[in-house]
Amino acid sequence: MSRMRTPEETKAAMHEVVEEMYDRIVKGEPPTMTLPVRTKNNIGFDKKLGVYKYGKKRSIRDATSLGSAKQLLRALHVVEFIEEMLDAGKSSTLREMYYISEAWGMGKFGSQNESNNLAEDLEIVTKCLREDFKLRPEEDGARMIGNLTLRERNRRGEWMRINARDDVGDSGYGVPYNVELEKIELLEHDIDFIMAIETGGMFDRLIENGFDEAYRCGLLHLKGQPARSTRRIMKRMSEEWDLPVVVFLDGDPWSFRIFASIAYGAIKTAHISEYLATPSATYLGITADDIVAYDLPSDDLSKKDIEALNAELSDPRFADSWWQDQINMMLELDKKAEQQSLAKYGLDFVTETYLPEKLAELGLA
Amino acid sequence: MSGIAQKLASNQKQVAISEFFEKNKHFLGFDSLARSLITAVKEAVDNALDACEEARILPTIKIQITKLDTKKDIVRLVVEDNGPGIPQKSIEKVFGQLLFGSRFHAIRQSRGQQGIGITGVVMYCQLTTGRTTHVRSKIATEPTAAYVDIGLDTRKNKATKANAGREIWYNEDGTGKEHGTEVTAEMKAKYQKGRQSVWQYLRMTSIVNPHAEIIFVDPEGERHHWTRVTERLPTKVESIKPHPHGIELGQLQRMVAESKDLNLNHFLLNNFSGVTNRARKELCQAAEIEGTRKMKSVKGDDIRALLESFQGERLFNGLPVKLLKPPTNCLSPIEEMLIKKGLSKTIDSRFVTTLTRVPNVTQGNPFQVEVGLIFGGGMAGDKPVEILRFANRVPLMYQQGGCLLTKAIESVDWRQYGLDQPGGKGVPKGPAAILVHLASTNVQFTSEAKEALADNAEVMEEARKAMLEMGRGLRKHLEKKKKMAKTKEKFELINDILPAIAEKSAQILERPIPELSGSITRIMSAVISESTTEWNKETKQTDVEIVLFNYTSRVRAYTILVTWPEKAGATMEKNETGGRKEALGVWAWKLESLQPGEKTTISYSLGGLERGDWTETEILFRGSQDVIGATKMDEKFLQEIRRQEQILGESGVAEPEAETDQKQAETVEEISQQKEEKMEPAVAPPDGQRTLFGGDV
Repeated sequence: MSRMRTPEETKAAMHEVVEEMYDRIVKGEPPTMTLPVRTKNNIGFDKKLGVYKYGKKRSIRDATSLGSAKQLLRALHVVEFIEEMLDAGKSSTLREMYYISEAWGMGKFGSQNESNNLAEDLEIVTKCLREDFKLRPEEDGARMIGNLTLRERNRRGEWMRINARDDVGDSGYGVPYNVELEKIELLEHDIDFIMAIETGGMFDRLIENGFDEAYRCGLLHLKGQPARSTRRIMKRMSEEWDLPVVVFLDGDPWSFRIFASIAYGAIKTAHISEYLATPSATYLGITADDIVAYDLPSDDLSKKDIEALNAELSDPRFADSWWQDQINMMLELDKKAEQQSLAKYGLDFVTETYLPEKLAELGLA
Repeated sequence: MSGIAQKLASNQKQVAISEFFEKNKHFLGFDSLARSLITAVKEAVDNALDACEEARILPTIKIQITKLDTKKDIVRLVVEDNGPGIPQKSIEKVFGQLLFGSRFHAIRQSRGQQGIGITGVVMYCQLTTGRTTHVRSKIATEPTAAYVDIGLDTRKNKATKANAGREIWYNEDGTGKEHGTEVTAEMKAKYQKGRQSVWQYLRMTSIVNPHAEIIFVDPEGERHHWTRVTERLPTKVESIKPHPHGIELGQLQRMVAESKDLNLNHFLLNNFSGVTNRARKELCQAAEIEGTRKMKSVKGDDIRALLESFQGERLFNGLPVKLLKPPTNCLSPIEEMLIKKGLSKTIDSRFVTTLTRVPNVTQGNPFQVEVGLIFGGGMAGDKPVEILRFANRVPLMYQQGGCLLTKAIESVDWRQYGLDQPGGKGVPKGPAAILVHLASTNVQFTSEAKEALADNAEVMEEARKAMLEMGRGLRKHLEKKKKMAKTKEKFELINDILPAIAEKSAQILERPIPELSGSITRIMSAVISESTTEWNKETKQTDVEIVLFNYTSRVRAYTILVTWPEKAGATMEKNETGGRKEALGVWAWKLESLQPGEKTTISYSLGGLERGDWTETEILFRGSQDVIGATKMDEKFLQEIRRQEQILGESGVAEPEAETDQKQAETVEEISQQKEEKMEPAVAPPDGQRTLFGGDV
């Protein structure tokens, strides 16, 4: 799974999807496309891979309603478009594909979201990656700082050696959208662990305070819900260098979800969880206990927050007792807190007190 | 009318006109500067419409309002018509005399019931500006027009005339005017816009007078034009004699006093409607007066006794005397198709349904309720619907809340018919306008202001029933629209998307394009009908086409039925598929075998209609499998049509004049019922039948 496919393999996989439709028409039935159900009710823990994957539930999209029929037609146009790119050795962004679909007449997309979802649908049924499809995401990857060295092939095809501490400015090393072997090689490092951080403000605070050097770690800015390439490079570093990953997020239901997508696999991309998820990652904070223990400035939970927490209670990824306790505690407190609320005790509190204490619990400081 | 006239007549001697006017201006329609202008327009336009109608001329009426002095609110009103004109000698009478007595015994539907007449306008001008009213009129047989200034001598309470003469009347384009009347009046009045405005009055007038062309130039110089949408003039109404149930003591006393009849028997037979020879005998017996009594000797107590037997207070054989209902040919309904046209031309919308109820009688007065509902299009969806009230084709613009017609609308739970109505009460909200017209020989108002109809159980019931019928029409339309949208989607799916899927998948796989019929049948799995009803400019006919698709895997058999305006005189033409008449206004075709995946087309044209008369054909079917786009035939509906058809068929037979005495009460009742049915005008829709004239426009 975690390897790129040849254009021929990709085409063959896509043709299976097309064949399903074609064969149904030949049989005198409405054409269909069979997809796994993409909700939390259809994800299960894969013991072998250590991540959450889609279960056996399937939904059949058939052409008996106008909406579904249009989806099938769009899928065919996308397949044709990808084949053309494979043949021409080109790639495009999802947004570009959305605009290209303007020329597809009845098969054109109604919104960017529709085209993104369809690309994901195709990944899922073909078991290919969107990199195989030569489709790029719009969003850029994360920023990284720390004493680690990698090799990136630039657009002229030359390999560049980059140290993410010495060869970069304050904004750090920008992770490209493709972090596969043909693009990036991990060379060497002199760090003890990797810390993933939710907000840019906190990332910059740790850099300014020299935390990466003081605690021998690589810092990674997630930019909210992390892009695929961010999750992928975290996984590669964790596996190839055998480094622990700790995740430092806000203390709210949405951060819990971010962590779940990093450690266990996201519901939307459960078809490639083993390729994106880092099962060894640890949630550092902010926990529900922290809000009490550090007496952090906090906000009341909104209606949506409460709904999200309740949904998490029945999410298989949060089934263990630690998470159940954390979620229930947050519901009881009826409070949430941001990472930067630690500044209540001064700008250095986070690097001098909070993080050392939390890391010590894990044996990392 | 008679009330005011009498009042005026008796008051004239004691008080000055100005005083009388001042005291009674609220019910004369001159209580505010804005309303005075509307009233003046109303009197002039009503006169024009009445004159044209009587002379069987299609009216073209021009109204122009100019501000002469904005500070003092002086305006000039000019109303010009193409009516027959008024002979020079009569101009003074028409404009300078109060119109009392002229229609004293005439009982029929007339516009004139509701105002003081044009003389009131002349008075108002004189009193507010001191100016006379200029009248110019030309009749076809004279080469020149007569003109004169009419005023009122407020001291002598007499009309004055000045500057009389004759001239050639030129039209705007320089041609000579053939006939018509023009009134130029200068008065203290205010022009305003909105719901209660001259504009709204004319707009409403044009809705219920679709045969009239109305041009209005407002004070800002803007020209509003309401076109003529039919060449058909309203049917000429017959006057009828009063019915005993609707008579009051004073009127009866007068009739007795003025009678030149030989005796009471003749009096009863000659002067009333609904009195048969049998009824005449019974009335006399109930009143305990000999039928042979001379009229001169019928006095006080006798008249009261007679009235009591009229009203069923005095009995014959222990029962009130049975009377026939009055004839209803004294009514002139606008009729469904014309209301529809009138509404459609003034309001932009998607759907119009109209309904004319069968005439009915309340307290001896024939009346008829007509309603219309227009929905969708450019109307605001979050505001109360616009209510358009009319009595005898005259718009009612004030006191909406207190009017019986409004109450009838409010009595319906419109929510079930697809309109918003908080709590199921009050005026519904939604993108709609509701029209209600009461045609009656005796319109009863809540007050002398004559702007709101008084409560009356029978009228209320008729209006309410009409609303319910219309509501059902609206609901059906909305349901159909929803269904049609779904069907349209399915057609897009099988006609466009599915072939594209087949083609694209074949192309990608480099295989032949597969055959689609199997998939189509599975996707649709239904029989679908599509129909169009379109006006054909070249042939001046309405072309109808019905296509039936069988998207099931079995052979199907159906009887397809359509509605068509047979009653309105349409003819079925170019109907190559044949079929047969199923009932009045319902045609049927038997389709024996509709093969799977096949389609059948039925097409025909309707002659004898005008553009816009018939815009939607209802498709019905008999058969086991549902047909999308058609309604399953309700056999009760058909029975009802057949019953009505029978009645209408009988009404063609000449009415026997001689009444034979009936001894059995039951037989009498039968006969009276039969006669009542015969009275229905040929245009009346079947009782309780939904309107056949609803449809998209």
